[in-house]
Amino acid sequence: MRKRVPLILLALMLGISAMPIKAQSVGDFQMDETHLYAMTKQMGQFIRRFNYEEDQFGNKLNPKDPSYRNRQKRQQSLAILFDQQTYGSQPDLQRFFIEDVTSGDSTFMTFLGGRWYSEVSATFKYKGKPVSVIMILGVEKEGLGSKWVLNNIYFSEFNKLFPTGELTEREKHFLHPMSHELDFMNIYKIFKEPEVIEYYASKSFEPDYRTLFFYEIKRGNLVFQNVDTVKFHVFQIKDWYFEVSWFNRSGNNAGWLISNLIYLPEKDKKDLIKFYEP
Amino acid sequence: MKKILALLAIVLFVGGTAMAQEEIDFERKQAIDSLALEKVRDLSKYIKIVGSKETAWSEANRVIDRAEELFMTNAEIGVSSLHSTKIKYYKVRPYFEHLMRLNYDRVEIEWYNIEYVSDLQRQPDGTYVGVITIFQTFRGYDKEGNLAYKDTTKKDITVYVKRKETQIGGRMIGFWDVLLGDMRVKETANK
Repeated sequence: MRKRVPLILLALMLGISAMPIKAQSVGDFQMDETHLYAMTKQMGQFIRRFNYEEDQFGNKLNPKDPSYRNRQKRQQSLAILFDQQTYGSQPDLQRFFIEDVTSGDSTFMTFLGGRWYSEVSATFKYKGKPVSVIMILGVEKEGLGSKWVLNNIYFSEFNKLFPTGELTEREKHFLHPMSHELDFMNIYKIFKEPEVIEYYASKSFEPDYRTLFFYEIKRGNLVFQNVDTVKFHVFQIKDWYFEVSWFNRSGNNAGWLISNLIYLPEKDKKDLIKFYEP
Repeated sequence: MKKILALLAIVLFVGGTAMAQEEIDFERKQAIDSLALEKVRDLSKYIKIVGSKETAWSEANRVIDRAEELFMTNAEIGVSSLHSTKIKYYKVRPYFEHLMRLNYDRVEIEWYNIEYVSDLQRQPDGTYVGVITIFQTFRGYDKEGNLAYKDTTKKDITVYVKRKETQIGGRMIGFWDVLLGDMRVKETANK
């Protein structure tokens, strides 16, 4: 039942010699599979194409095969991993990225290499009303393998609770250093203005949104409805950050593709990664 | 074919428990991929039979029984469309029964040639997990023979691969057990 179907467009796109064209007919319909071969169908395929660990038809390459991680083929393979609607007009950045990651000390992406995260936007009901919550997940090694774990939460209602106040305002709120001699009789001030209660916390205080999230779930105030979108944030590649999003569209530039690319020296990554891995 | 693969699975993996905790080499992974693909092809075949309006009710039910055997207990099928990203969840049997009850006079279900097999990753208990992606076109026709509905769906099927052992003639024989898990069915923009 299954038949070999045309791959010419993909072949041309990848700069390889064309293969014979055949078409699969279903009733009155012709099924052209070219775009499905071209589509980056799984995030795992994105990684394999990124590293050139599979050929242009999605067949896994044996690490002993000379084509495996072949630099020239990898350069071609990397080019198809960009959302052309965004990066078609910025070829310089794309070219610079490809040259950099395929240069002498090549950088490869690995599943267990850390510093890549999934952003899952989901709808929940918060106190009965639909709200959007972003969950950040990371891959964590455990036991004999690994698993995805919840690293952080972004929910606007939580963030509103902990606004970054003006320094001058923050400096007005403290318990003076001799309060202990008065049996902390002044501690009531902390609770008089709950909206700034965190100003009385130690410098190292960082709100833990995961705990709030778990608390609200356990209290039954926040109820999961459905996942809306998934994307990935990759910091694993030396001096680069990129975002990978799902493009559900026809044509040969579809599936998991780079939707945002930023040159980001390693020293600048630390603060950004804090959000993804607090 | 099934028998050959089963035999292949046993022959390839004879050799006791030594391999149980080790990484799988490339050739072995390919053999496991073939086993997993065979299960997915069975699933494709069952979907086509159950979806066909020419399949008798009793035959369809027999095929659904076979389909259920491919999956792990409690596996779910999550379906969404272009119009709504909201995922509708089905257990295996209700999914097939839903397919059987679709209100068309004639149905065409066809599978694209693409079968994309992910790398296997280990979960904490040591079981290997992979995902196989396949694409299906569906076309439903009304009584007049007009095309009433068509879609192309991407089906991402979880595959669990576990090394097991059985005693045959006093000898421990190792083999890889492959079962299907949750399946995500997502409508694509390709028609």
